[in-house]
Amino acid sequence: MPFAVRVRGLVKRYKDGTLANRGIDLDVRRGEVVTILGPNGAGKTTFLRQLTTELMPTAGSVNVFGVDAVKEPLRAKRAMGITPQEAGLFEALTVREHFEFFARFKSLSKREARAAAHEVIAELGLVDETNKPVGNLSGGQRRRILIGLALLGRPPLLVLDEPTTGLDPASRHAVWKVIRRAVAEGATIILSTHYMEEAERLSSRIGIIAAGRLIACGSLDELLARLERSYRLSYRDPQDPLGDLCVSYFASFAEAQQRIARERLNEYSIARASLEDVYFTLTGEPFDKDGTEVAA
Amino acid sequence: MTRLTDISCVFRIQLAGMRREAGPFLLAALVFPSAMYLFANAVGGASVEPEENRLRFLAGSVIFSLSLTSISWLGYLLLENRFTGRLKLFATLPLAPSSYVFGVLIFALAQAALGTTALLLVGRAFGVHMRPNIALLAVVVVLTILCLCGLGVIIAARARSFSEGSLLTDTLGAGLIFLAPVYYAPEMLPRALRVVAQMLPTAFAARAVQTTLAGGHEIGGELLALGLMATATLALGFRLMKWRED
Repeated sequence: MPFAVRVRGLVKRYKDGTLANRGIDLDVRRGEVVTILGPNGAGKTTFLRQLTTELMPTAGSVNVFGVDAVKEPLRAKRAMGITPQEAGLFEALTVREHFEFFARFKSLSKREARAAAHEVIAELGLVDETNKPVGNLSGGQRRRILIGLALLGRPPLLVLDEPTTGLDPASRHAVWKVIRRAVAEGATIILSTHYMEEAERLSSRIGIIAAGRLIACGSLDELLARLERSYRLSYRDPQDPLGDLCVSYFASFAEAQQRIARERLNEYSIARASLEDVYFTLTGEPFDKDGTEVAA
Repeated sequence: MTRLTDISCVFRIQLAGMRREAGPFLLAALVFPSAMYLFANAVGGASVEPEENRLRFLAGSVIFSLSLTSISWLGYLLLENRFTGRLKLFATLPLAPSSYVFGVLIFALAQAALGTTALLLVGRAFGVHMRPNIALLAVVVVLTILCLCGLGVIIAARARSFSEGSLLTDTLGAGLIFLAPVYYAPEMLPRALRVVAQMLPTAFAARAVQTTLAGGHEIGGELLALGLMATATLALGFRLMKWRED
């Protein structure tokens, strides 16, 4: 079967009436890395929580490697490694104990659990922390443990909800390396992120969710091709030299140049549109330089 | 086999997690009930039947310890797991919610065994004459713990916030001891409360423990009541404890 995950008509209406997902369809092929982007409150986490069986869908189906995840959540989870957006660790347990205990839950023998713990600890750069209680670790180190717990047992599907949020650049790169290695070993990955760079670097395909709908999904090139005006002119208004940078889009380089001449701009840059521009065009919400969403 | 491994791992995680809290736990499970025994003995020990009173106070202290272990302490642990996101971590695993609850129940039973043994030793040290039937006492302790843990699980599963749940477990943990005729004779209660108080699980448990400590065996009714209550509270607790949100 070529598909790792098939989602059809996924709807979630919360008890208070909020419609978080309004019918999402998505096929993820084996070995793909699909990144989900979207503004805060767009329904990304709701979507991933339904995928990981944590949240009961109001309607629709989720199929994971041929298993109906709505009807058989435990069977579906045997094929998954999950990093939730937020989860608590056991403060008094050491890093090694976390990995060894959680590996046992994934049906690894004691010896396999020890080996898997050792491997994941090394992979995530936590060797020096191996025997430290988790209560003594930083937020970034805890985040890496959560990612490591998902990797235990080398599950064929990893679902990572904002795996690198709160990590410093070096740790983020280490996690990317781990994700790439998992993909090279045949894993399929679905992740959500607030970092454009992460989506661009890791993804086979990028899905954009807005207002509970998957409004676009494709490779970076396919998404860029959706832009009719694919040249971005960033400039400072000569009338307001202390103001924020303004952004305009053009169908061609020449058009952008004409605008520069007409407006007599002297502080500007022209670039090919990026994922950020696609995101902005589709959702109407910009990202700032760090990839964090800016209030619209 | 996998299920047994899961249950054992949940138990061992809780056990390992208790390393830092072993001191406060022992304080709660042993010192409070021992102090209550001494207090009750001091206040009511000079009656016509001092020996019977001492047995009642010791039985009451055992039940107090079990209540602290199961409702207050275990309830707190379950609430902590839920509201600090640890439950969410368990939910990411191919682990049945019932395996989680069983693992935690075994943890509570181990604590109960420890607390009860310690209190019986304290009783001996204070000169209480008892001829406990250990096997029967163990059955009473297990049923009491299962029944009270069921209540802890229900509260932990339904509480809307940590503070709400914590307040409920504390209230219930202490309330079930002091509202039931555990440290005193039922006749001392107002008439309206008497019937209700005698139907509380702690009342059945206290009667059963006192009888077994005195070397008696006539606790069939108490065991049946505790068994039924344990079945009911645990069935509801298991039903409410779900990984998946609606």
